[in-house]
Amino acid sequence: MTTTLPPAPDATQPAPAAAARAVATAAPAHVRPVIRFRSSRPDLLLCGVLLCVILLVQGWNITHFPTLSDDEGTYLAQAWAVQQGDGLAHYTYWYDHPPLGWIQIAFLTWVPSLVAPETMNVASMRFAMLAVSAACAVLLYVLARRLFLPRWAAGLAMALFGLSPLSVVLQREIFLDNIAVMWMLLAFCLAASPKRHLWHHFAAGLTAAVSVLTKETMLVVLPALLVTMWRHSHRDTRKFAVTGAITACALIGLSYPLFALLNNELFPGEGHVSLIDGITYQMSREGSGFILDEGSGSHGVLRSWLYYDTVLPIGGLAGAVLLLLTVRWSVTARALAGPALVVALLTLVAMRPSGYLPAMYVIQALPFLALVLAGGAATMVHALLERPLGRVLPTVPRRTGLAGGRLRARRLLRRGAFGAEPPTGEARATDAPTTGRAARATRPTVATLLVLAAAAAAYVVPRWYEGNRAALTADANAPYRAAAAWMQNEVDDPARTRVLVDDALWLDLVHDGFEPGTGAIWFYKADLDPAVAKTMPRGWRDLDYVVSSPTVRRDAADLPGVRSALEHSTPVAVFGAGEDRIEIRRISPAGGAQ
Amino acid sequence: MLLSLFVAAISVALFWMAAFTLWWQMHAWRTPEILAATRFDRPEGGVGLSFSLLLPARHEQAVLEHTIERLLESSHSNFEIIVIVGHDDPETAAVAERAASRDPVRVRVITDTHETKNKPKALNTALPHCRGDIVGVFDAEDQVHPALLAHVDHAFTSTGADVVQGGVQLINFHSSWYSLRNCLEYFFWFRSRLHLHAKKGFIPLGGNTVFVRTTVLREAGGWDPDCLAEDCDLGVRLSSVGKKVVVAYDSDMVTREETPGTLMSLLKQRTRWNQGFLQVYRKKDWKQLPGRGQRMLARYTLMTPFLQAYSGVVIPLNVAIALFLDVPVGVAIVTFLPLITAMVTVAFEIVGLHDFGKQYGLKVRAVHYLKLIVGGPFYQVLLAGAAVRAVWREQRGRNEWELTSHVGAHLTEVTETREDVRR
Repeated sequence: MTTTLPPAPDATQPAPAAAARAVATAAPAHVRPVIRFRSSRPDLLLCGVLLCVILLVQGWNITHFPTLSDDEGTYLAQAWAVQQGDGLAHYTYWYDHPPLGWIQIAFLTWVPSLVAPETMNVASMRFAMLAVSAACAVLLYVLARRLFLPRWAAGLAMALFGLSPLSVVLQREIFLDNIAVMWMLLAFCLAASPKRHLWHHFAAGLTAAVSVLTKETMLVVLPALLVTMWRHSHRDTRKFAVTGAITACALIGLSYPLFALLNNELFPGEGHVSLIDGITYQMSREGSGFILDEGSGSHGVLRSWLYYDTVLPIGGLAGAVLLLLTVRWSVTARALAGPALVVALLTLVAMRPSGYLPAMYVIQALPFLALVLAGGAATMVHALLERPLGRVLPTVPRRTGLAGGRLRARRLLRRGAFGAEPPTGEARATDAPTTGRAARATRPTVATLLVLAAAAAAYVVPRWYEGNRAALTADANAPYRAAAAWMQNEVDDPARTRVLVDDALWLDLVHDGFEPGTGAIWFYKADLDPAVAKTMPRGWRDLDYVVSSPTVRRDAADLPGVRSALEHSTPVAVFGAGEDRIEIRRISPAGGAQ
Repeated sequence: MLLSLFVAAISVALFWMAAFTLWWQMHAWRTPEILAATRFDRPEGGVGLSFSLLLPARHEQAVLEHTIERLLESSHSNFEIIVIVGHDDPETAAVAERAASRDPVRVRVITDTHETKNKPKALNTALPHCRGDIVGVFDAEDQVHPALLAHVDHAFTSTGADVVQGGVQLINFHSSWYSLRNCLEYFFWFRSRLHLHAKKGFIPLGGNTVFVRTTVLREAGGWDPDCLAEDCDLGVRLSSVGKKVVVAYDSDMVTREETPGTLMSLLKQRTRWNQGFLQVYRKKDWKQLPGRGQRMLARYTLMTPFLQAYSGVVIPLNVAIALFLDVPVGVAIVTFLPLITAMVTVAFEIVGLHDFGKQYGLKVRAVHYLKLIVGGPFYQVLLAGAAVRAVWREQRGRNEWELTSHVGAHLTEVTETREDVRR
């Protein structure tokens, strides 16, 4: 048997009890509580219960609400193409986004699509997003614990994240952002690994790269990840850990341009798409105006977020500001500097006056908003209790510290409700200080806290109840389902029928037997994809139907081909009413009336 | 199609090889706790053991005196120095005798009368004369820290080890492009990788600053006089029968050495090590290791020079295939995997160089980092050359210690001689 030498005494190691007693009165040393999530029953229990609630709320009525979106259709259709072995998309892949996102969707939906191919449509496959949501919620809890939040605050963060009506709406949808968030949360968890293992940090770089390759906007978050890693690594091994992470992230990230290069599609050129063109397009997308400028597109997006929930966006932002301002004094603020920085960075990017702000932009901020909001709450609670959070002093073993039932009861209350107690026995020796300032938590303080908590709950619960009630009961997709059923039942020869349709309905039509790509046609490809335009030399005359959804009508303004198809067709079936109606229009050679 | 499969398979194999090597190379920095555990424990209490320090010297009259003097400065109170000189080397013998006459209690001279000389034979000659509890081996030009023995003593008593391996470090990284890489190799080996070997229970020991309990050493029959890497062989034999080996590295307590003086002598040194590794592999002592993982590690470690040579050739070839031949994009991406690990390795080497400079208070300039990166491929060629040379020599049964025969004739080759005697 061989071994290395026993470890030399390390300042960061919990001091043994005897030594601890000696330093108890000396300057407080910062001792790191060890959090072992997997072996901590209270953590598992709390996390498990919250997870069940979140899954119930997010999963119930998931197919009916919110309205099927065009983007969901796009990603799922491309995932379908991957499953079919048709490459990265059934139309030419043009480097609009890195393909890793829908490759993952393809994996997630692989088994169900094999068992029942017709379930491969947007509404059914939203259930796959439940898995992503669940992973995100659990990772957020783990991250909160790793950033030294007490159990109650970690639970609060998880609940805020999973149950906010804004989260419920957005996380139900098949968006790449949701998957990217999952990877980024994993990266943060690895960066804050209590073991401070080199390869955990290396893996954090890898997963961050995967996150960016899933949704490129995650790039903005990377500096905050670096801050987290820096804070949570050890001085002696930091340079190796951080270098490893950056190298891993960069090398994996570079595989995307390498992929383009190997396809001869890195640089723009005649007759082919290119990565540079794709990036140029994304960067030059028409801005949606300044977010605070009423009447701008960005402001509309902001309003739509705030319509669903104000607590998480506004409260989270306030929490981030609070944490960033108190970084010098608060241990919690320092521990949460990374997530607070994420919120700050994403806010700054959203404030660009000329930038394009998509509705799903807020998704990548949601977990961090929840985390800093919970962290801000924890900071305030601990400021009131005058007990620094996360800073655990080496002290007299607890049992000898206090005596008497009343005191013990109060201590239990404090520990259970506010304490950052490390759950394992070995760390317990360094746990909650029971002397000095901490004991000063008086009844009035506790009462104040209870009142504050009750007030917060009184504000949030009714609003969220209202918001989530809609999500659990409303049926926004009846017109889509009816349109899909009509196309399935009323069109006689789908294989030879050509339809312009929006992406959300496309897969339904494909399952009905329409020819993918040229029979069932993503409506805008008729104008924008030369390969598709070539198959319809006579324009709208080569088409049979247009399924006119709100998206089609909105975008037709910029698509002359689609517009003329709408103009030369008449509705044969209309589902729903008003703005959101879906019309099935037959192309009439004589020209139709609107 | 066949080409694609072939290329992909090779790439994946190379990737795993490089990844494992990197994983082991970075062992010490895995966690702060592991890093802290690689250091010597601070000695407490008095000294308990006595040491016999073996100092084989051959044509090293220039440095020997200083080395002995420095060893005598050791803070430990109970040790003897046994200088081993050849019967055909009067200059070195004179220096040794002079030192012995100054301190007859602590310095003795043993004369090695073997016709063909090498280091294991010299060490075996001295082994019966050792009176200490522990036998330590140093080279004639080593700079040994005065507090080392006390720390080693403590390591033996506190861990109950049979063998303690201290750190050896080449220092003159600024001398040439290859000495830079050579220094860094030592840094990663003694700072990090050896600790992993100690932990896994299979360890090729270093050539000096190695300490073995005298009884254990005699039981094992001393060093193998026919092996070109007798140090590695001893480690493999001892750890294969379950002896406990402890490794410790403290930057202020390492034994400092210099890189071989010329590229050619580095090549020869490396050839001998490789050939030695090959001999150790073929002796099959490592097959007694109880664990399957241990045997895999042994097999892999002893073959490393050859795998290294192979990958040095294949990695560029693979990338060229990916870029210029018509293979599917997926396969082409796979061929880049080994390159990615190679780049991660370079990144860690850069940090390692920085850490090396920090640990030893040496100024590492931008040009050194540049040398490190640019020199990488050339060093790889050198390693590959040494590996091929070793296989070739082993095949032809050329087992002699290179250059020892015509050493007296060429005074210019003194550095090479010394190098040769050392390992």
